[in-house]
Amino acid sequence: MRIIPRTLWSAFGLLSVVFMMSPLVLVVFFSFGNNPQATLPVGGLTVHWYRVLLDNPDFWHALNNSLIVTLSVGALSTVTGTAAAMALARWPMGTANAAMTVLTMPVMLPPLVLALALATAFSAAGLHLSVLTVIPSHLVFTQPFVILIVYAQMVNFDHAVIESARDLGASRPRAFVTVVLPIIRPTIIGAALIAMAISLDDFVITFFTIGGGMTLPTLIWGMLRTAIDPSINALGTLIIVATIGSSAIALHLTRYRG
Amino acid sequence: MSAIDRRSSILFAPALVVFAVFFLIPVGFFFVVSFWQLKFYELVPGFSFENYVEVYREYLHAGIFTFSIALIIATLTTVIGFMLAYLIRFRAGRYGPILLFLVMITLFGGYLVKIYAWKTILGTQGILNAGLMALGIIDEPIAWILYSPHAVVLTLVHFLLPFAVLPIYGALRGISDDPLEAARDLGARPLRVLIDIVLPQAMPGITAGFALAFLISAGDYVTPRLVGGTSTFMVGNFIESQFVNRLNAPVGSALSFSVLAACLVTLAGATFLARRLLRPR
Repeated sequence: MRIIPRTLWSAFGLLSVVFMMSPLVLVVFFSFGNNPQATLPVGGLTVHWYRVLLDNPDFWHALNNSLIVTLSVGALSTVTGTAAAMALARWPMGTANAAMTVLTMPVMLPPLVLALALATAFSAAGLHLSVLTVIPSHLVFTQPFVILIVYAQMVNFDHAVIESARDLGASRPRAFVTVVLPIIRPTIIGAALIAMAISLDDFVITFFTIGGGMTLPTLIWGMLRTAIDPSINALGTLIIVATIGSSAIALHLTRYRG
Repeated sequence: MSAIDRRSSILFAPALVVFAVFFLIPVGFFFVVSFWQLKFYELVPGFSFENYVEVYREYLHAGIFTFSIALIIATLTTVIGFMLAYLIRFRAGRYGPILLFLVMITLFGGYLVKIYAWKTILGTQGILNAGLMALGIIDEPIAWILYSPHAVVLTLVHFLLPFAVLPIYGALRGISDDPLEAARDLGARPLRVLIDIVLPQAMPGITAGFALAFLISAGDYVTPRLVGGTSTFMVGNFIESQFVNRLNAPVGSALSFSVLAACLVTLAGATFLARRLLRPR
C-alpha cells in the first residue's frame, strides 16, 4: 500500500515523535537550567530549582497528600477492579462487555462534570471535603482501567489449573492465592501502577473534591496562577518521572497493548 | 462460560457499589439539581426549566464556539492518530513497537505539566520564538500564537493524541494481512484497499478515539484558561465560573447537561455519517 512514499512516512513518524515528546523533554531540560524564564539561552546547569522546591513547605504538604491519595487509590482500585475482572471473566462475553462499558462511563464523562457532580453531592450530603473525599472520587475512574487490564488477561486464563487445584482439595481462596495470583501478579501490579499514575496526575477532580488541601497537581496550579516560579519545572519533572516511570514499568509487566 | 452465578456477583459487587455511590448517585443528583433554584445561596428543590432557558439565552454563543473548536480538535486528533496508528501497524516495521511505546508513555506525564509546557514553548519569550529568531527566520517574536484558539487546539491535540492512537491501533492490529494481500493481488488500488478494507475495520477504534477527544475538549476549562487568553472562553470556563465565582450549582448543572446532550447528539450524528460513507460496495 503505497499511497504515501516511504520518505514521507519517515518524516511524519519523526515529526510525530518530536511533537509528542518535546514538551516533556523541555520541562526536564529547563528544570536544570540557570535561566529562570525557561527559554533560550538556558545558561549553565544547576540543581538550584530543586533546592528551591525542597525548601518550599507547600511542596511537602502536597507530596504528603498526593502519596496518601495515590497509594490508597492504587490499593483500593486494584482490589475492586481485580475482583470485578475475575467475576467478568466467568460471565458470557456479551454481558461482560456490557458491564465494562457501564463501569467505564466515569472515564468518558468530561472530568469537570464529574468533579462538579461529586462536589455538589458531597456538600449536599454534609460531608467535609478532604483527602478522604478525593480517594473515592479517584477510585471511580481508576477502577475501570484495572478491570480492563486484568480482564484482558483473565479471559485468556487457563481455568484447568484452577480445576486441578480444586480437585486436589484446595479451597477457592487457597486456589486463588497459590495458583491464580502468582500467574497474574505482574498484570495486577501493572494495573495498580497505571491506576496510581492516573490518580497522581489528576487535577480537575482533585481540585473540586479536596476542599482546602493540596496535592502536587493543585500545587502546580497554584504556582501557575501566581508570579513566575521557575521551580515549577522541577516539580513538573518529578511528576513526569513518577507517572511515566510507573507506567513504563506497568507496560513492561502487563504487556497490555491498548 | 457459565451464566452469572452468586459467587461472581459477590466479586463484582464492590466495583458496582463504588460506581453507584460515586458516579450514578452524584451525577443523577447533579442532574436533578439542574431543575432546582438558588435562593440566597441555598438550593431550593423544585422543578423548573428556568436554568435551561438561561443557558440557552446566555451561553448559546459560547456553546457554538466550543463545539466548533472541539470538532476541529477531535478531527485533527483522529486524523493524525489514524496516520500514526497506520504507520505503527503497517509501515514502521521494527520501529513500530518503539513508536507504540512512545505513544503509550505520552499518555502520562501530567496534564497540567503538558499545558504549562506549551505555555512556555509558545510565549513571546518562549523557545519557539527564540529558536526562529536565532535561525533568522523571523525578526521579532510572533505574538499571536499563545493566548489564542490556535494554542488551545495545539495543546489539546497534543494531550489527546495518545488517547486516539491506542484504540485505533487496537482496531488495526485485528486486521489480518490476508485480505489486504488478496485485494492487492486482485488489482485493487491502495486507496481502494484503505477505504474498503482498512477503514471499515478500524471504525470502532476511530469512533472511540474521536468521541473521547471531542468530549474531553468540549468539557475542558484548564487549557483555554492557561493558553487560550481572553478571546478563547469555552463553555467549561463558564461552567467553572458558575460554581467558583457565583456558587450557582443549578445553572452550572443545566449548562453541563446541555453541553453533554449536545455532545451526544453530535457524536451520534458523526457515527451515523461515518457508517454511511464507509458502507462497503
